Amino acid sequence: MNVDTPMVRIAAVGDVHMADDLRGRYSSALAALPDQADVLLVAGDLTQHGLLEEAAAFVAEFAPCGVPVVTVLGNHDYHSGRESMIRELLERGGITVLEGENTVVNTPNGRIGVAGAKGFCLGFTGRCAANFGEVQMKAFTQHGIDSAATLRQAFDDLDADVRVALTHFAPITETLHGEPAEIWPFLGNHLLGEAIDAAEADLAIHGHAHSGTERGTTPGGVPVRNVAQPVIQSAYAVYELPIGARV
Amino acid sequence: MNTQHARHKLEQAVANDLRTNELGITVEMIGDRIVLRGEVASRERRDAVLTVLHEKAPEIDVTDELVISADDVRPPHGSEVIPPAHERTPDV
Repeated sequence: MNVDTPMVRIAAVGDVHMADDLRGRYSSALAALPDQADVLLVAGDLTQHGLLEEAAAFVAEFAPCGVPVVTVLGNHDYHSGRESMIRELLERGGITVLEGENTVVNTPNGRIGVAGAKGFCLGFTGRCAANFGEVQMKAFTQHGIDSAATLRQAFDDLDADVRVALTHFAPITETLHGEPAEIWPFLGNHLLGEAIDAAEADLAIHGHAHSGTERGTTPGGVPVRNVAQPVIQSAYAVYELPIGARV
Repeated sequence: MNTQHARHKLEQAVANDLRTNELGITVEMIGDRIVLRGEVASRERRDAVLTVLHEKAPEIDVTDELVISADDVRPPHGSEVIPPAHERTPDV
């Protein structure tokens, strides 16, 4: 790669699980963000219990950070059944929420496209739910299948210089190492990885696996980063991607 | 109660109680005490976990080995350069 290749800079974190006790913990660390990145991606579990007051605390902490904030929701954000209201509250605060949708952030060096979906459980090769048996099992499995279709849909019309997948659930097992293998089917979904490979994304960002590993790669070679805050152990991680390298 | 069942009930209490909803906490029962392992975001959340466990099993001593992840959140020291697509090495 030429040293003069223009780069875009993507900051990312997941699983901040905001509530009153964490007010003020991120805001000072985020002050450095505009010098380090062009956008902040947040990979779900913005709140601890999916409460509106927790979402308001998230907005107060993250919205003033000085760069566009793009999010997907996580399973914690659904816990109280108020995910639609949480989304509205975030959007009123200037934060973008993606679920089967995409957005493009213009930067001086190029356009960052983000395709987002929460994703869901399902599992991976050798440890995967099947669409078989009881109606409850079929519903669980089908929701996992549908969640990957939602991510595929998010990429459909995404035109940008760099294309990033943003999910809460993991698309591969490599970034789950550190978590007990018995719970991997509840942490991610191999069909999300297939969707990311089909889209030929430049980078995939996820969270959810607090005891996992930061770095991995899809079977198709797309870099995957687990940015769950306990994994990266900082307010955010920064990834720089070259522009004009798509072939 | 069987040790395995008791352990499961305590882990589920920490996962399901609205004061905690911590899904990654494991409870190991060693003799007459509990060893708590996992991660929570703050000291307040660790205290809430200890409160819930004490209510469920007041007679058992707890050894707290929980890690607090967001006590002192700082910006990262640097960045990572992601290689361009044509330098990828897909599995075959």
